[in-house]
Amino acid sequence: MLLDYDRLGWLRGALLAFTGLVAAFLLLPVVFIVLLSFGSSRWLAFPPPGWTLKWYEELFAEPAWLEAALTSARIATMATVLAVVIGLMASFALVRGKFRGRDAVRGLLLTPMVLPVVVFAIAIYAFFLRIGLGGTTAGFVIAHTVLALPFAIIPISAALEGFDKSIEDAAIVCGASPFEAKLRVTLPSIKIGIFSAAIFAFLASWDEVVVAIFMASPTLQTLPVKIWGSLRQDLSPVIAAASSLLVLLTLSLMIVTALIRRKLST
Amino acid sequence: MTEPFLSIRNLRKTFGSFVAVHDVTIDIPKGEFLTFLGPSGSGKSTTLYAIAGFQDPTSGDVLLEGRSLLSVPSHKRNIGMVFQRYTLFQHLTVAENVAFPLRVRRRPDAEVNRKVAEMLSLVRLEGFGGRYPGALSGGQQQRVALARALAYDPPILLMDEPLSALDKKLREEIQAEIRRIHRETGVTILYVTHDQDEALHLSDRIALFRDGRIAQIGTGEDLYLRPACEFVASFIGNSNFLPAEHLQTTDGAATIRLADGSIVSGVKATQEFGQGQKTRLMVRPEAFRLRPGPATAGLAVEFIDAAFFGERRRVVARTSAGQEIDVRPPSDMANDHDETAQQSGQVFFDPAAAFLFPALQTT
Repeated sequence: MLLDYDRLGWLRGALLAFTGLVAAFLLLPVVFIVLLSFGSSRWLAFPPPGWTLKWYEELFAEPAWLEAALTSARIATMATVLAVVIGLMASFALVRGKFRGRDAVRGLLLTPMVLPVVVFAIAIYAFFLRIGLGGTTAGFVIAHTVLALPFAIIPISAALEGFDKSIEDAAIVCGASPFEAKLRVTLPSIKIGIFSAAIFAFLASWDEVVVAIFMASPTLQTLPVKIWGSLRQDLSPVIAAASSLLVLLTLSLMIVTALIRRKLST
Repeated sequence: MTEPFLSIRNLRKTFGSFVAVHDVTIDIPKGEFLTFLGPSGSGKSTTLYAIAGFQDPTSGDVLLEGRSLLSVPSHKRNIGMVFQRYTLFQHLTVAENVAFPLRVRRRPDAEVNRKVAEMLSLVRLEGFGGRYPGALSGGQQQRVALARALAYDPPILLMDEPLSALDKKLREEIQAEIRRIHRETGVTILYVTHDQDEALHLSDRIALFRDGRIAQIGTGEDLYLRPACEFVASFIGNSNFLPAEHLQTTDGAATIRLADGSIVSGVKATQEFGQGQKTRLMVRPEAFRLRPGPATAGLAVEFIDAAFFGERRRVVARTSAGQEIDVRPPSDMANDHDETAQQSGQVFFDPAAAFLFPALQTT
């Protein structure tokens, strides 16, 4: 191989330093947010003059924050279930089907990933206002499902492509109906793909803010929308506390994912 | 006439303008081991998949005990099948794999457990029930697949090149297992392979496929000793084809003139030939001898290369017409003289072991 890590010599040190720098640049702001959430300064001064947990007290004292977090979880869960179910059916059609316009359908389903989010947000906002879905949970879930769909389709399609259809045929010849064969043989075989799809779909909805701002109403706010709204009113360290919790939750989700994936693949 | 057990009638399958199976008709008695042999793309797998129900034939019919299978979906045909690729369910243990067909049939636990134990002992994998397929070798996986395919006592077992992913030694070992299992269970087996040794080793009868048609169907002896056409002769075993001119035929024994001008009489004519017609004489390498026998014809040759293989010699010789031929005479224990040490000499064959085919074969 042209670039063999073991034979890079002194370049190895340079590469490590560069990689470390990039990682630091990307991750340090997150570290600062977490540090600031424990700082006693009301004006987010750094380094903090002292350490305190009062911002977390304030955060938990205000029911609106908890409510926003629960709303986020509820919408993300529903969007995840829908995206995975639709993603599964779409993947079977895209991977196994032979029909005209299959590539066009695949492209269409993956569009939300490449389309500027704000364009999608305005379009769906205008459309939902017209059909009466604006500001409703249903509208919110549908919008986020559309956004999450590419993240579900990509891992499920990849898993399905790597699955030998002969195995499903073997189950059918054994007496399982085509549906039963998919349920009892194919789905368990692509479970890692389905699991990845669920995680990505959940995260796509959980930390989404642009579409959420358009879908939100005074009574229906997700956590990112609540953070955004509070930021515009005043720059309180409570936001740093809320953000830290968001980071903590995402991080634990990633760790749990990694653990479960390791267990599934053995 | 008694109804054949399994009957394939005028089966035809086209994919667009490509005809995969032209017109295949076979009757298979109960308990037979029939092999579909042929080069890839000859239609043997397509025919098997039509029986399994994975391919709908364009026309024709598949009858089991007189009833058409075509309207029955695959999962209700009650057919066993072992695939070319490993198709065990990776998330289930070996025992759960074998139990799968019984579970989908909602059989009681006691029967499932008894049958699983019986099947694992049939394929000699007792004690492997708790393992996962990932922990088994390729040969063991195919034996589990065989146990799974036989667990529900299907009347027919289809096998689609099940040993092609295995190495030679393992392949021969499992061939012996398959023979034993066929003997013990009496199940009717349709077996697809492109390996003629495998076909000869396993089968009661062989259907040799070529371009979507059956070139010949019969026992291994039929195909080797009585080939119906040049394709069969060249596909089963090895063969030399010498250009010849047909002179006359009486009672199936033809007289011909070879390229060097020598006249040979008593060769087997595989069809009617006209006088002076261009023909090709097929002589198997192992039909050649290095010494004349009571009724042999001789062929003047130059010896180009010779090697000794114990049971036989393998000699490359060139006829006076310049054609290289493959000569594999059995070793003569009573006479260790090596005729091939000279530069030129003669090889001999019994005309009754040589077959006359038309010169021009459309391919």
